Amino acid sequence: MTIITLSESIKSNILLFLEIGIVLGSLGVVFLRKIVYSALLLGFVFICIALVYLILNADFLATTQILIYVGAVNVLILFGIMLVNKPEYGFSQKQTIGETITLLMCIGLFVILSIGIFSTVWETSYSTLFQTENKFNFNDIKLIGDHILTDMLLPFELLSILLLITLVGCITIAQKNSLIVYDNTINLKKD
Amino acid sequence: MFQYLLLLGAYLFCLGIYGLVTSRNMIRALMCLELMLNGVNINMVVFSNNVDFVSLKGEVFVLFIIAIAAAEAAIGLAIILNIYRNQDSVRIDQFDLLKW
Repeated sequence: MTIITLSESIKSNILLFLEIGIVLGSLGVVFLRKIVYSALLLGFVFICIALVYLILNADFLATTQILIYVGAVNVLILFGIMLVNKPEYGFSQKQTIGETITLLMCIGLFVILSIGIFSTVWETSYSTLFQTENKFNFNDIKLIGDHILTDMLLPFELLSILLLITLVGCITIAQKNSLIVYDNTINLKKD
Repeated sequence: MFQYLLLLGAYLFCLGIYGLVTSRNMIRALMCLELMLNGVNINMVVFSNNVDFVSLKGEVFVLFIIAIAAAEAAIGLAIILNIYRNQDSVRIDQFDLLKW
């Protein structure tokens, strides 16, 4: 029994649990004091988002999300935390006036977006294309592969060049540079 | 279900903006940036699932966003490491060297 042949009510229940997990996890990422807990909750949020993709018939994206976000980005963030760890001395910061203004603006933005989501009539905007019943798509990875080799070939190749440049750039930036002095001249020694 | 998932994407985006603007630690700002990108990704996948069912262009774009976000997280952490080596702190509000 694959995920796409489950009934609509079971999918709604699973989505409810996943949404609660994402909401609480992301609150923990932003507001917890210890940053290691934030990073581990970020991994939990990424896994819940991957399960949401699985329910939305995007199985290749769910695999990619777990591989790249949980497996690479989250591990990288944890390494960064362990390397730059300064102990926080447990004092609670008072909320400044700037933080209050930002909170009000973010809540305002969220209210505007939710009014926009719930008041548009989605069915008649995309009248012939909108599917509310559940059609099954077994060809997810084949369609994505077709797109990235025919329609969207140029972004795909540029992305690979960008990743190569990122690799070289990261190693160059994170190198240790120290000054060495010999013969009364100062030179930069690259480690 | 469709609209509640769009609301979830909007919630992640707004919470990411708040965390990015008000966090003192630079690594927490990077984590909130990843939250924002994931909110946008959820939005795109929801639309691709409901509207663009024939050819999943939204999912291809999400693939590009995931790759770019990974590259930017790597470069951001390299910069943070370099700053920590030079200044021995990772608080955002202590970096006013470029101020006039």
